[in-house]
Amino acid sequence: MEFYNKPGDYDAINYIPETHSHGTKELWRTFWLLLGITLLDFIIYFVMPHTAFRNFIFIFFGIVKAYYIVGAFMHMKYEKINLALIILVPTIFILGLITGLLYEGNALTYCK
Amino acid sequence: MANHQPAAFEQQPMWAGGRSPFNVSYGKLMMWLFLLSDAFTFSSLLVQYGAQRFSNVQSPIVTKWPDPAAIFNHFPFMHGLHLPLLFVSVMTFILIMSSVTMVLAVEAGHRKSKKEVVRYMVYTIIGGAMFLGCQAWEWSVFIGEGATLYGNQFGITEAGNKVFSALGFGSHFEWEPEYRTAGPVPFAALFFIVTGFHGFHVFSGVVINIVVTIMAARGVFDRRGHYEMIEKAGLYWHFVDLVWVFVFTFFYLI
Repeated sequence: MEFYNKPGDYDAINYIPETHSHGTKELWRTFWLLLGITLLDFIIYFVMPHTAFRNFIFIFFGIVKAYYIVGAFMHMKYEKINLALIILVPTIFILGLITGLLYEGNALTYCK
Repeated sequence: MANHQPAAFEQQPMWAGGRSPFNVSYGKLMMWLFLLSDAFTFSSLLVQYGAQRFSNVQSPIVTKWPDPAAIFNHFPFMHGLHLPLLFVSVMTFILIMSSVTMVLAVEAGHRKSKKEVVRYMVYTIIGGAMFLGCQAWEWSVFIGEGATLYGNQFGITEAGNKVFSALGFGSHFEWEPEYRTAGPVPFAALFFIVTGFHGFHVFSGVVINIVVTIMAARGVFDRRGHYEMIEKAGLYWHFVDLVWVFVFTFFYLI
């Protein structure tokens, strides 16, 4: 198989892929979604009693907001799957670490 | 000018070398990897916060951790009113707005429209500066109420105090005698460290945005042939917004 990485072919380091606009419609839609979810946070905070289920809702909304910020605003949806995976897979492991340490921390409640 | 990848590269295997297997430029890939490492930094702070907080919790009601709603309940020009979450929601709104103007600047950059890029970038900078102002006000009120890095002046929640002291756990004091506090010690310290670290990121984001805006206004990117620098600054700015989503959730909502 012939490869094309001979020196002098072209400057791979300074290569910039062609970009094109995806329009502003999706961006504004994402903005209204984020604003709506934040307002929902605000309403739930005052309407629902403080329970573990309410905390779960807030964390779930946080992850939904993160999905839209990373996907639409940071253009992750339009990137190659290779790039998405090297960014997202370690982050998912971090979520596991957080869950584990919350559990461990909670076990200390009556030890202190 | 942007140098074009020979068409033959499209045919060769993705990982064979000589081309980016991620189909992004070197600079953008490095920005993504920097953001990943920065995400780890913030994660470690949030892990610390979560473990500390959960080590003082039996249930959301029965907790030694001070109730954020009872502390962050101030709003400028409204003295003495109990307004939890309102000010921080305004801050969130400002940051979301500036995120939108940033993404509009990136979109204008794709169309190589210099005027629009500069306009939206200026809006973004104003949003970032407003956010920093809000945070400074929030900190000054918090410090004015006696928050320090080495103690907890806010005590513990009433329900938590009742249950924990009945069990013989709630009423003991923590740490050195001169810094005696009734509640968990790192409450204010963790708030200062995490929001301070985030605020520092916002500050650097504003500086980066100012530099990039001046470059755009002077036509540097027009001569270069692409507005990728706006995209990279945008990635950083959205990351700062993303971190705020979680700071907002864990420090104020929960």
